Amino acid sequence: MKDKLSVMMLSWEYPPRVIGGISPHIYFLSKHLAKQDVKVYVVTCDFPGAPAHEVIDGVEVYRIDSYKNPSPDFATWVYLMNMNMQRETAALTRKIADKIDVFHAHDWLVANAGIGLKHVFRKPLLVTMHSTELGRRDGLHTTTEKMIHETEAWLTYEAWKVICCSDYMISHVKYAFGLPSDKLVMVPNGVNTHSYDVDCDLKDFRGKFALPEEKIVLFVGRLVYEKGMHVLINAVPKILSKVDAKFIIVGSGYMKEQLLNIVRSMGLEHKVLFEGFMDEPTLLKLQRCADVSVVPSLFEPFGIVALEAMAARCPVVASDTGGLSEIIEHDVTGVKVYPNNPDSLAWGITKVLLDGNYAKFVRDNAYKRVQEKYDWEKIAQQTKGIYEGVLGEYSKSFWAK
Amino acid sequence: MRAIIFSWEYPPRVVGQLSGYVSALSTQLASNKVDVNVVTYDDSATGQTKEPSGVKTFRVANPVRTHIGVLTWVLTLNQEIERAAANIYYESNKQVDLIDVHDWHFIPAAVTLKNGLGIPFVYSVESLEDHRSPNAYAPYNMAIKSIEWMGFFEAKRISAKSEWMKDEIQRIYKVPKEKITVISTDPSVWIKEILKLYHSMEETEE
Repeated sequence: MKDKLSVMMLSWEYPPRVIGGISPHIYFLSKHLAKQDVKVYVVTCDFPGAPAHEVIDGVEVYRIDSYKNPSPDFATWVYLMNMNMQRETAALTRKIADKIDVFHAHDWLVANAGIGLKHVFRKPLLVTMHSTELGRRDGLHTTTEKMIHETEAWLTYEAWKVICCSDYMISHVKYAFGLPSDKLVMVPNGVNTHSYDVDCDLKDFRGKFALPEEKIVLFVGRLVYEKGMHVLINAVPKILSKVDAKFIIVGSGYMKEQLLNIVRSMGLEHKVLFEGFMDEPTLLKLQRCADVSVVPSLFEPFGIVALEAMAARCPVVASDTGGLSEIIEHDVTGVKVYPNNPDSLAWGITKVLLDGNYAKFVRDNAYKRVQEKYDWEKIAQQTKGIYEGVLGEYSKSFWAK
Repeated sequence: MRAIIFSWEYPPRVVGQLSGYVSALSTQLASNKVDVNVVTYDDSATGQTKEPSGVKTFRVANPVRTHIGVLTWVLTLNQEIERAAANIYYESNKQVDLIDVHDWHFIPAAVTLKNGLGIPFVYSVESLEDHRSPNAYAPYNMAIKSIEWMGFFEAKRISAKSEWMKDEIQRIYKVPKEKITVISTDPSVWIKEILKLYHSMEETEE
């Protein structure tokens, strides 16, 4: 009789392989599940210099041969990589003495492996849908996009439960794949507040970015259309007419040159700094000393950047859209403004910068909210609860007999 | 003895010679007291299916209908082949002696089933990518070759239909010749040789 719940997590990225948000998500979720007495195995793609097997914070990490022959294209590579992932994970699952209770796949990138292992070992499959092809591309325009969409539909069909990180994503996924409501569960994404516990003096560090009399307005995100950086640029003169500030832009993307040109033509180069990509320790410090963090997105499935600012005790001004609408409670944990509206955005930023008491009020509330709701420990507890619920249902199915 | 046969063509779906061969093989095996389970592609375009007596057929459809190429089509279809085989395994009290895989298409499923459930497989070679597309080294051909290579590496036994093919498998994939059995085409001994090969699969390796 084994008493410890064990889960096999499948993900195409895990540190040090970091491509997007799934990598840190798996890292923190696995680590905190392990703290909740769950035996966690992570199977992921290999990475130069990283060992094929290691134990990180109580989590067994296996890195598989991610298929390194030349592939015709990215999508075909994904299916070939899944072939290898299945081969190695099947051998691993057969070998380990304490059997796997559930398989947990993250996004379509590991769809084939997750579905295959479910049927070979007859164990329940859970899926977290971090994003969808439909949302990423704003429609399905090419054969590749349709194929990926159908693979996502197949994955959610095969899953016992589908986890999404926001109510917005729940309704989006429900609509995209026609899933019944009782198959969907919302578990928010988390943020690690301890990352921001830097107690060193940030005065000199702040001086590298702004003059003492300038407030710091921070934007973190890819410079792509849906992130709404252009809305912020249009709000800059309106803000500067009320309060002296420096606008710091972290991130890169296809709109960078275009945005730079607009800033130049507006004569605002001395006020708007494009910093490009930034290493994590520097970014953490910058988030700590910023006076306001701005998230002017037009489309946002979750909005982790708002949570990070909240964890860094920095007041947030965000557009009232997608996952951001749920994270921010207006006038309580931040300021919500109309999406794609520079006047509204300028109003929100100015309000926070000019009213110190208000800024402190929303900042403190936000920090408390993050600890209550977006804490990895609580998220891991919730996830464990979902595993247990699924296993309870599974135990009554003919597969368990 | 219980055997599962994987083939991407099986009557009424006829792409090449393999369809007729697998059909004859499965009926012959059935009349030799082998529990034969053919797992194949459900080709809706080929119309009504008449199942031969004694052979159980499992036809699966591709779970993803839109594809960008043969590789993505094959790799998603493999999951349904794998699922059908796993179902046969569990419904027969985990008593499956071997899988006989015809050509490269369903090698990925056979490899996962071997590693996960310990079902050994024979890789029965009809043709090789090197002969189908000579001097083709595009990523597409290389991917098929890598799947063939994995099949030769993971298979417990390999069956070839001629001495020439045995030599080619050895030459191209550097497979030890002890692993390859040439099956005679003489109708009087053909099925006996296959049965002998199947029985050799039960020997434990060390």
